Amino acid sequence: MQSSLLKRLMPALTILTIAAAITPFILSSPFWLDNSVVVAIFSLLALSVGMAYGQAGILSIAPAAFGSIGAFATSIVTTRYGLSPFVGLVLALLLPMLLAYPMARAITRLSPLPLSIATLLLSLVLEHAIREGGSFTGGYVGLSGIPPLWFAESIQAMHVLSWCVVALVLVLYVNLTNSAIGRAVRTAQHDPLRATADGVNVPALLALYFALSASVAGLAGWLYAHHLTYMGPDSLTMHVSIKVLLMAVIGGASTFLGPILGAAFLTLLTLYLPAAETQGMIFGAVLILVLLVAPNGVLGTNWKKWFASRARAKPALDRATTARGGAA
Amino acid sequence: MFELAEYLLRGALLGVTYGLLAFPVSLLFVTTGSVDVALGAYAVLSVAVMYMVGGSTGVALAIGASVLASAVVGVISMRLNRPGAVDHVIAVLGTFGLATFLESFILTLFGTSPMIRHSFATFWNVGGIRISPQMGINISVCIVILVVLFLVLQRTPFGRAMRASAVNPVGAALNGIPVRLIWFSTYLLGGLLAGVAGVLILFTTGADYSSAFTLTIWGFGAAIIFGMRSPLRGFAGGLVIGIVQALSSGYLPGAWATAMPLVFIFAILSMGRMNQIAATGGRV
Repeated sequence: MQSSLLKRLMPALTILTIAAAITPFILSSPFWLDNSVVVAIFSLLALSVGMAYGQAGILSIAPAAFGSIGAFATSIVTTRYGLSPFVGLVLALLLPMLLAYPMARAITRLSPLPLSIATLLLSLVLEHAIREGGSFTGGYVGLSGIPPLWFAESIQAMHVLSWCVVALVLVLYVNLTNSAIGRAVRTAQHDPLRATADGVNVPALLALYFALSASVAGLAGWLYAHHLTYMGPDSLTMHVSIKVLLMAVIGGASTFLGPILGAAFLTLLTLYLPAAETQGMIFGAVLILVLLVAPNGVLGTNWKKWFASRARAKPALDRATTARGGAA
Repeated sequence: MFELAEYLLRGALLGVTYGLLAFPVSLLFVTTGSVDVALGAYAVLSVAVMYMVGGSTGVALAIGASVLASAVVGVISMRLNRPGAVDHVIAVLGTFGLATFLESFILTLFGTSPMIRHSFATFWNVGGIRISPQMGINISVCIVILVVLFLVLQRTPFGRAMRASAVNPVGAALNGIPVRLIWFSTYLLGGLLAGVAGVLILFTTGADYSSAFTLTIWGFGAAIIFGMRSPLRGFAGGLVIGIVQALSSGYLPGAWATAMPLVFIFAILSMGRMNQIAATGGRV
């Protein structure tokens, strides 16, 4: 019982331990603290992809769009109506969910491919909607002056808060995955017919899981808005979604820590990359490379088995080459 | 009434190029059950090369570049999937990777400026509506491609092999059909058609580096409207998308004009067209 609980808490404890270990080294550097918060926010977005794609098999190309809904929701209620960021938090969690669920119900019907195209459409439509939102969304100019969170006004406090939120989401995510719902989702992903025979309402379940993943993205958007204190039409675009997707795939979308590893790797890599225009080439190439070498991502691949299979394949290749040489 | 007729005509003419992009979407979906998200990127690459080089050399290089890019996607997809063990979502992710790569490549090499050329100074007058002769070229090219494609699919051994690979890949492989080669050829054909579409787009609406995903969406939307089984239906779907786009531009303000066709495609998707026609019984 205790070992099971420890196992469930392990991913969150790992993240908290790593965050605690690096904190003393970056505490006096606003630059690295800011990057740490950005990594945490992207980790949440990548975890949302991990939930949708890694667990339910739904390739969502709209994590940034759902994040954007959360971010604009809190931005509007705090700047326009002077309400508490906690009201914004509730909206940031609920609105993406309320949009994602009916969308998934309308599209899924056991087909992840149309849903992924639908999420792409959602991203594009949302970008247009934000630009056309006028003074409500800030239009092309965006919304500035979003208040920082009163309980995490300093960058140090924001760093602690954001990683605590990541750990909390991880705990909930691990528990959900190990629950009856999580098992049903995995069964539905691998064999929908079997899941249906087991009495699972597959479309409703997948739509619910997709909606939950959208809610996690909304939470990331909430943190994003209150950290940067500005939201514009170019803040969380489809290109950010693609980057987030890449983070999840590189780290291992079906694992708990993989998306966070991918978020940390790509965010830090971006700091050292040349001009922004060329970043897409590197990201695209890395995505293709990862898909070819380890489609399950860095943490989702059994490397021992992978190296063993390579070692077995090499002598066979050598024998074939020698045989061809001998024949010639 | 005249205004509506003008929008309908202009939309239908605009939709011809979308119909051309719908061909490869239908072909690839029917043959491999997957979608190539990079199709729009091939078209934009073709636009960029044609814009830079021009002339008949430009046409050859533009289509060649598009085919080359599709060959890369074909090789990647062949590595990711094989008949009998296919993960369409992984294949789509691979095409996403290349689309992202190409978009950045075009941005780096050709910059952010829109790429457009006007080859005709005089216009036709059709019932009071000014139409560029380029539209005549677009329609002619599309009809020729449509006829050739129909003949290839229905009357040649390659077409029969392609259809057999689509219906039952494992059975086709057991009967000696090189299914993987057929799949690869479908990707190349997609690149070829997207390349031709790109050349036409340069002289019609133009494009910039960021048009790739939007063009994919228009081609995809055109393909799903009347079902993905036939390129002819894809062509008709292209006309519908063009008309929706023209009507939105005429009657809706600002960015909503761009958003409305996307909403329209979403509505079509919601009707479950893709699920109904999926060869795998809805498990796309």
